[in-house]
Amino acid sequence: MCTGLRRTACLLRLTAICVFLSHTAAYFGLTGREPLIFLPGPFSSDPPSGKAHLKQCEQLSLTRRQKRLCRREPGLAETLRESVRLSLMECRYQFRNERWNCSMDGRGSLLKRSFKETAFLLAVSSAALSHALAKACSSGRMERCTCDDSPGLQHREAWQWGVCGDNLKYSTKFLKKFLGQKRVSKDLRAHIDSHNINVGIRAVKSGLKTTCKCHGVSGSCAVRTCWKQLSPFHDTGRLLKYRYDTAVRVLSVTNAATGEVELAGGPRRYTSTSPGSVAAGGPSSAAVTPRARPTELVYLEESPSFCRPSRYSLGTAGRPCAKDTSCSSLCCGRGYNTALRLTTLSCHCQVRWCCHVECQTCLREEEVYTCKKH
Amino acid sequence: MFLRHGVACSALTGSMDTRHGVVAITFLAFFMQVVVEASSWWSLAMNPLLIPEAYIIGAQPLCSQLAGLSKGQKKLCQLYQDHMQYIGEGAKTGIRECQFQFRHRRWNCSTVDNSSVFGRVMQIGSRETAFTYAISAAGVVNAVSRACREGELSSCGCSRAARPKELPRDWLWGGCGDNLMYGYRFSKEFVDAREREKTYAKGSMESARLMMNLHNNEAGRRVVSDLAHVSCKCHGVSGSCSLKTCWLQLADFRKVGDLLKEKYDSGASMKLNARGKLVQVHNKFNPPTAVDLVYIDPSPDYCVVNKTTGSLGTQGRLCNKTSEGMDGCALMCCGRGYDQFKATLVERCHCKFHWCCYVKCKRCTRTVDQFVCK
Repeated sequence: MCTGLRRTACLLRLTAICVFLSHTAAYFGLTGREPLIFLPGPFSSDPPSGKAHLKQCEQLSLTRRQKRLCRREPGLAETLRESVRLSLMECRYQFRNERWNCSMDGRGSLLKRSFKETAFLLAVSSAALSHALAKACSSGRMERCTCDDSPGLQHREAWQWGVCGDNLKYSTKFLKKFLGQKRVSKDLRAHIDSHNINVGIRAVKSGLKTTCKCHGVSGSCAVRTCWKQLSPFHDTGRLLKYRYDTAVRVLSVTNAATGEVELAGGPRRYTSTSPGSVAAGGPSSAAVTPRARPTELVYLEESPSFCRPSRYSLGTAGRPCAKDTSCSSLCCGRGYNTALRLTTLSCHCQVRWCCHVECQTCLREEEVYTCKKH
Repeated sequence: MFLRHGVACSALTGSMDTRHGVVAITFLAFFMQVVVEASSWWSLAMNPLLIPEAYIIGAQPLCSQLAGLSKGQKKLCQLYQDHMQYIGEGAKTGIRECQFQFRHRRWNCSTVDNSSVFGRVMQIGSRETAFTYAISAAGVVNAVSRACREGELSSCGCSRAARPKELPRDWLWGGCGDNLMYGYRFSKEFVDAREREKTYAKGSMESARLMMNLHNNEAGRRVVSDLAHVSCKCHGVSGSCSLKTCWLQLADFRKVGDLLKEKYDSGASMKLNARGKLVQVHNKFNPPTAVDLVYIDPSPDYCVVNKTTGSLGTQGRLCNKTSEGMDGCALMCCGRGYDQFKATLVERCHCKFHWCCYVKCKRCTRTVDQFVCK
């Protein structure tokens, strides 16, 4: 690697590679360069055979350390694919009405810069990973972890016929190893990325609820079984979308006391009109800026306009929209085209004894609106 | 002025061949002709309202003084001199509604001068041109129909429309409704007069523009006629609805503006086919009906000042920092950024009614943040 170079040049090259590695290890998900066959479907019904997971580990684009972890744990490859699918579906769902609709095009260039969208991608991919890992543990698909065994659940001796709680503790610990967050680097971009990943993991943690079931004498709550359950991933996705909407733009500030690089937030955008609210002062008024809260997403640069085709997206031409609600904002003022489409749907459904439903197919004409190109 | 140019030219070309001089003069004459045709009947809205007493029957010089009318329109002016004031009012209503509907967009229907009114933008057959033609035709229908009902015009009176079939039997049909039929026919005669008196070669750009103008004028008139509704008044015993009289009433012009703005958003892009007719550019979309707006050219870039297209640019426009639509600072300023100013607004507040009978208000000053495009 360093043949024929002077020492300083060699050191520079090594640090650059280290920074690059520590940065790229952070985002786990689709970067848009994978071949199409990689797109995973939901869990296959047959149990994972002995050595099949090794081939899957090779197929995923992982670093060396991640590959080692993957080889050790047979159920991990399947879980990783499931998490990628989960984050893809959720991202597309949350952004279906926005100009940037989380498509694969331009994903690579988007990940290189630090926009709000990059922050969201990092958060949702890490949230999906921790969610999938926790669920996989409780479903018994992983060898090295099982149900949640945190203390403090009531009636521990009765839990053999209770529900297996989702093991978020193992998931968080494993993620720290997997995403390489132990190494704190001084690079601002890596700092921001690890902050956003933690936001994602915290979002999943905040969705962990203790659910109890009463099963005492005639249904009373004399005997209760409680377990921890993760909220459905849609709720986490919605929470992360809210964080995206209230994301904070940051500058880096060196903490005078500790000498460390801290993320200082710019002025916050208060959505409610409170009498003492701070007027937006622009990024130049960075005199008194608070620290970015650990639940806020942070970004460095303002997002580009996704209206026209650019290297970050394909633009909004041809996107389907709803005439009364989203067409005006999605089409960026260019207007929309109307087309009639024939759709078939099931109608006049009846239950036949026993036990299937018979439906007829009705043809319906509906109007489809797509954004104009210019 | 034309003669002066001719004399100057012949003086200059004294040494040249007289044939060259004649060619130069005719070239200049054509150039003047083109500039004169750019002005239009919309200029009736810009000149101050002329009082009816000024229109003495037989005072023909008045019509020839009005700038912007074509030959056919001048003839109609001489026949219906008392209608001219209302045509001007109708055009003014149309322009005002256009400016209201487009106040949040890059081209805000601003008037440039008193003769061509909108400048060179109207020479491009874009969607904005289509909207302007439609709404001014609709304004004329509105104004002339109302004037008929009020008895201001000698050649028409209250509406003599037939009783609609769906009216319940015991309701009276009478009253004095807006004379929609007359307004529609007069607007058709007057507004379309300029287009109808010219014929262009089949398949030329001018013939396409002519067909587009005629279609859009008709669309504007039809929208007014479609939105006209039956309005009733109860005048039975002590105000009950035992006796009801109904008549035809034109809709509020704001509704006409809203509907035409929707048609603007969904306008159809057309081109000339081999036979010289206007057809859609993309076949898969719905063909435009008589109420839809059509256009032949894509809209020019309204972001920057351009003398050839007539665009005024968006520099100096107010923008809304929090909006995501076309009036948001990102889209309105076309990525150039914006400046922030504090503006003091003086408005009336704490108004009190004093006996008898006036209202006294105090003046409050308020400082607001205004954002202006660079």
